[in-house]
Amino acid sequence: MFLKKFNIWYLSSFLISIIVATPIITVFTSFFDPTSNYSTILKNTFLFDYVLNSIVLLLGVLILTFVIGVASAYLVSFYVFPCVNFFKWALILSFAVPAYIYAYSLTAFFENYGTAFTILKNLFGNINYNPYIPKFDGMIGAILSISFSLFGYVYVLTRASFYYQSQNLIELGKNLGFSKKRSFFKIILPSARPAIVAGLSLVAMETLSDFGSVSFFGISTLTTGIYNAWITFDDLTLANRLSFYLLIFIFGLFILENFSRKKAQYHSPTKSGIKKNTATKLTGKRSVLAFLFCGIVFFISFLFPVLQMLYWTVSFPKHLADLDLLKLFSNTILLVFLSSIILIFLSFVSNYGNRVSRSRLLDWLTIFSVSGYAIPGIILAIAFITFISWFDNNIISFFGIKTIKSIFIGSILGLVLVYFIRFYSLASNGIKSGYLKINYSIDESAYLLGYSKFKTFTNIHIPYLKNSILLISVLISIEIIKELPITLIMRPFNFETFATTAYIFASQDLLEAAAAPSLFLIIIASFFILITSRYILKD
Amino acid sequence: MSKNFLEIDNVTFTASAKNKVNNVSLQIERKGDIICLLGPSGIGKTTILRTIAGLEKITSGKIVLNNKVVSSKDFHLEPEKRNISLAFQDNALFPHYNVIQNIEFGAERNISKKNNLNINEIIKFLHLEHVKDKFPHQISSGEAQRASLARSLLSNPDLLLLDEPLSNVDQNFKEEIQVKLKQVLTEHKITTIIVTHDSYEAFYLGNKCGIILDGQLKQYDDPYNVYHFPNSIEVVNFLNRGTLIPAKVTGENSLESEDLGTIKGKFIKHYPKGSDVKLLIQPEDLEHDDNSNLKLEVVDRQFRGTNFIYTLKTQNNLTIPVFVHSHHIHQHQVEEKFGIKRPIIIDHIVCF
Repeated sequence: MFLKKFNIWYLSSFLISIIVATPIITVFTSFFDPTSNYSTILKNTFLFDYVLNSIVLLLGVLILTFVIGVASAYLVSFYVFPCVNFFKWALILSFAVPAYIYAYSLTAFFENYGTAFTILKNLFGNINYNPYIPKFDGMIGAILSISFSLFGYVYVLTRASFYYQSQNLIELGKNLGFSKKRSFFKIILPSARPAIVAGLSLVAMETLSDFGSVSFFGISTLTTGIYNAWITFDDLTLANRLSFYLLIFIFGLFILENFSRKKAQYHSPTKSGIKKNTATKLTGKRSVLAFLFCGIVFFISFLFPVLQMLYWTVSFPKHLADLDLLKLFSNTILLVFLSSIILIFLSFVSNYGNRVSRSRLLDWLTIFSVSGYAIPGIILAIAFITFISWFDNNIISFFGIKTIKSIFIGSILGLVLVYFIRFYSLASNGIKSGYLKINYSIDESAYLLGYSKFKTFTNIHIPYLKNSILLISVLISIEIIKELPITLIMRPFNFETFATTAYIFASQDLLEAAAAPSLFLIIIASFFILITSRYILKD
Repeated sequence: MSKNFLEIDNVTFTASAKNKVNNVSLQIERKGDIICLLGPSGIGKTTILRTIAGLEKITSGKIVLNNKVVSSKDFHLEPEKRNISLAFQDNALFPHYNVIQNIEFGAERNISKKNNLNINEIIKFLHLEHVKDKFPHQISSGEAQRASLARSLLSNPDLLLLDEPLSNVDQNFKEEIQVKLKQVLTEHKITTIIVTHDSYEAFYLGNKCGIILDGQLKQYDDPYNVYHFPNSIEVVNFLNRGTLIPAKVTGENSLESEDLGTIKGKFIKHYPKGSDVKLLIQPEDLEHDDNSNLKLEVVDRQFRGTNFIYTLKTQNNLTIPVFVHSHHIHQHQVEEKFGIKRPIIIDHIVCF
């Protein structure tokens, strides 16, 4: 009876969760390994700066994304003003612009003799405008780049929460004599709190794991510290130890939020008892202000980097001609295709395994393994390399085999495996949220109609979840197209994507050359976003 | 070899550690019989159905269907291999298929093609013609419940289990569907267990009724006996169709009550003369008589269409229900006096 519980579904789910959890376990277990002298030097010199910079960056980004994300979501959800339906989906296009490309645009526009200078020169004549053009570099540049690239998380989740928020609540506020301002702060905002916090948590994780833009602006954060410990000082253990601190920091944020929320109940997007909110038509000055706010956010977050990259691509056609576009496109799409298939298939198997096994152990293991999303790409890549090295030295050599490192490190297989670990929570949680809509009694009905577990999976679940699968595939694709540090570390020799090509040019100070790959990256990501915008905005 | 179609032998049905129905033994003798299980909410009725369907396992006793053990401590036949159909209370329609496609899943299950029910007839009698092309989220809960019932009926199971099958159905359809459902089940000899909280539905549909109270199957008998000869005070209280009043046995066929005087009738169980008992008075036991000298005060009057049920107060402040045909010309108001015909003769006397 006991053994019967361990069916094929249980074992598959268990195995998948273990694979995903391996890097986290590696980070934790490497904590006590001896490190080089650099560890002591770092402790006495830069460690404090790393932590301080990470905190300042995090706070700056959180404040800015909160303001932009919530305000734009509030305006498009509760008011009617010119172009409101356009802004509803156009604002999510910011997802297509990675923070590092935003950073290139920001620098290119405001630098001495940059695009702003050229515009002013063409408009007002040739004098030195450089002293009057503000410089957005360093910490400010990083905060702006990351915020405008990531505010979409807060916008999408908050808007979904407002979308499902019951008009009854708002009417209750009116009934109690609340002003619009009081309704917003006492009813609308608190009831959207879980969504806002969820959005900010994603922003926090992405900010702490950002590598491209902080390294471009030369800001030393824990993430760049990890990279330096490994690349510059060849100290993998110290890199893992710093990763451990960063993980603790991220988990601390989650715990803090959970404590502060206590047992408060919030709205749930159920069909019953919900009266859809009705938008108020704005007129006059208010209508113009709402339009301007959303227009400016859209311009700054999407049009600005696109136009900047387009301008450079057109201005320096040689760089475009030098690019092997077909190769970059096929490499990018190959990674997207392989990773999406593996992620969707294994996430499906694991979710179904959890569903039919109803095991607490599996539930806990899944929660632990999906926290991999909180781990920066750099840490995952390093942890993966650490694990493969350990496995190679201790297990493989025991069997007399020379090495398996080349199979997993610097190979497409290794790269896709680390993508799998990094984005597993995205795929798994997406499928899980689809599954939450299927009551257990649906499965039981299928069994009672003579369907086996496998047939229930193929004939009932897969057709029902096909929209979720499509949506998740596209979300994974967008993430992989933009992903930088894992691709940079794990890719095979001479294997480039749009993201790595843009980064390599930018790191050599050849921003003009980085423009064309950046532009193509944005176009492909925008295409994926547009085909799924309806689903993204709903869920 | 068991001679019964279904035999539940000393099975404990476990919903949770605290919520169990213990040591249930119950038989369905013939194929085509309908039994109804009644009990308060949360007592474990649904768990019994789920366990018989194979969705839950048992740790004691055994369940035998058609001379084949389907559940025991050491054996569990998977639900998909039992040919038992369960219509869930929450419908469990497949959300991505429309109503007709959902119903056709049931017809596909009828592999033997025996006992073919006509899909159109079933759709018609369950009033589903106008929603058959709609999806589950587009129909009412009552319609979804009827669609689920249609799916289960069409699967031609060896045993059909219905969990509160008509609880969400509009009152105007309910009685009509009850009548047709009984016709279909009887005509096609579909052995059925129905869980319901509606005792009228259970008494009408069931060949037998089981009353589940306090984690036990308290009574399992035909509906007439369950109503007229309840075997415990708990069953009386659950059915809520009478009052227990104190009385003293005065002879082979008589009792004396301080509130109602002499009562005559046939005891269903022997009590020695002089015993103090609690006598069950049901609404139809007493007759109204305006000329009687036994007058009780009216404390409530419920109009039920075909009849009134008066609630009367005795001198000891006990309340007694009395059934009166609604054409009775005197409609007594609250606080008025109400005559009870004497001598009081009750066909069968139930005491505890």
